[in-house]
Amino acid sequence: MAKGEIIAGYLAPHPPHLVYGENPPQNEARSQGGWEPLRWAYERARKTLAELRPDVLLVHSPHWITQQGHHFLGVPHLSGKSVDPIFPNLFRYNFALDVDVELAEACAAAGAELGLTTKMMRNPRFRVDYGTITTLHMMRPQWDIPVVGLSANNSPYYLTTREGLEEMDLLGRATRAAIEATGRRAVLLASNTLCHYHFHEEPEPPEDMSKEHPENMAGYQWDMRIIEMLRRGEVKKTFDLLPQFIDEAFAEVKSGAFTWMFAAMGYPELAGELHGYGTVIGTGNAVMEWNLVKAGLARAS
Amino acid sequence: MTVVAALLVPGSPLPYVQPANPPWGALAAALQAAGTALTAAAPETLIVYSTQWLAVLDQLWLTRPHMHGVHVDDNWHEYGDLPYDIRIDTELTAAIIAATPALGIRAKGVNYDGFPLDTGTIVATHFLNHAGRPLAVTSNNLYHDWETTAAIGRGAVAAAAGLGRRVAVIGVGGLSGSFYRDTIDSKDDRIANASDDAWNQRMLALAAAGQFDEFLALCPEYAQAAKVDMGFKHCAFIMGGIGGRFRNATVHGYGPVYGAGAAVIEFHL
Repeated sequence: MAKGEIIAGYLAPHPPHLVYGENPPQNEARSQGGWEPLRWAYERARKTLAELRPDVLLVHSPHWITQQGHHFLGVPHLSGKSVDPIFPNLFRYNFALDVDVELAEACAAAGAELGLTTKMMRNPRFRVDYGTITTLHMMRPQWDIPVVGLSANNSPYYLTTREGLEEMDLLGRATRAAIEATGRRAVLLASNTLCHYHFHEEPEPPEDMSKEHPENMAGYQWDMRIIEMLRRGEVKKTFDLLPQFIDEAFAEVKSGAFTWMFAAMGYPELAGELHGYGTVIGTGNAVMEWNLVKAGLARAS
Repeated sequence: MTVVAALLVPGSPLPYVQPANPPWGALAAALQAAGTALTAAAPETLIVYSTQWLAVLDQLWLTRPHMHGVHVDDNWHEYGDLPYDIRIDTELTAAIIAATPALGIRAKGVNYDGFPLDTGTIVATHFLNHAGRPLAVTSNNLYHDWETTAAIGRGAVAAAAGLGRRVAVIGVGGLSGSFYRDTIDSKDDRIANASDDAWNQRMLALAAAGQFDEFLALCPEYAQAAKVDMGFKHCAFIMGGIGGRFRNATVHGYGPVYGAGAAVIEFHL
């Protein structure tokens, strides 16, 4: 078996509004569109993902929150209806997905070897969270690539941000080791918004784009600063600034997916490709790609 | 008298799914005892506030007349399913939602098939609602503080009074919030640290003795010092509902749920 590789990582945020705006058959709620620039960004990301032809997509979602350890979906097939508890008017999605249980178990074992508490989720009636589903739908609406779903242990909130993100770093290293050991060509999806300040009232209809803009100027400026650094490949500098960004922009990257993804990729000083940026109910969302094949850091096939 | 019972109960699923474990079994027995007391009080509707139903935009209330299904807890999925079958007092809930804007708070009903009922509401109604009475169930808006949450509790009871309903006010949530992050031998579960334990016991003693002024005055300090679940807002909801006064309280049980504090408190009015 060839050694597995991470072939790309995407920053792939999960506002359910994007699924709502697209009107896929799986979602009960219907819209008149909306958030097109972000949805077009995902269209571009879908194309590059298709070209990469990965064996598996791994997604770390801040809306599967766990307190005792880092959990992994561990049932071969999961299906059901996932209703967003925050935006049930927008997201009522009938999902069906296949899990790469072998890789998930390898990730859990590798995490445990590094000292993390890890658990497999074996209950077939488990409702997959809307963050996982939105990110996966926006990246690959065909649902034809197996998935590994990772929970967001609440360590960055329960401990200090730095302590929590150190755990996410270990989780990323464990994920890389498991991918290498199982021979998978894997794509990582960090399901995180940037600035997370949001409006407290929803327009009617929710897709009224005349009401959509950044919630505050400082948060928007932080997002642009972070994106500029990532576009220049200044990854170390970005991570040096991350705690300040999290504090000042209430950034959702605190929940760990972004750190997990970069730790797994080895923090390459590689320019990220920005597919697009947009706000959703005031929050800042960037769809970005780090293509390790294009950069010569992973094999083409 | 509109409020005939007021209870604070934990929302952890552990007493429900693992009652054979002695520390959690004791809490399950306490919840059963509270359920018996609630049945005796004969409320027509149970008004439930759960810290685990998180909201950020509005004050959400369940408005779907009948909700049933199976829930699996995000963290404790290994212990199995949480089946539920609840009915909503839609008349009372509509009255509460209609009255809420006068408090300066936006409220909204939630009526969707498949809406994820939270673990806390399921656990509380499993133990307390022996008679299958209708419920009015509301969310924990993360941006609401103690005063706002108390106002929502007060408003809910006022709406019930307007309809002549006899209600129980139930706050679902934990006490001290420090917990074990790694796997423990569950039969050895205990409150995670001595300071938390002391704070919990101090507050429970004040409640039991009916020293509500001191109890209420200490709530903010307690919430901070013991990292109380969601700033103890489930207590704010109850206190708002009962006007901040109670005769005394029966502590049916107190114990750990993976290190965090949990108590079953019946406030006597």
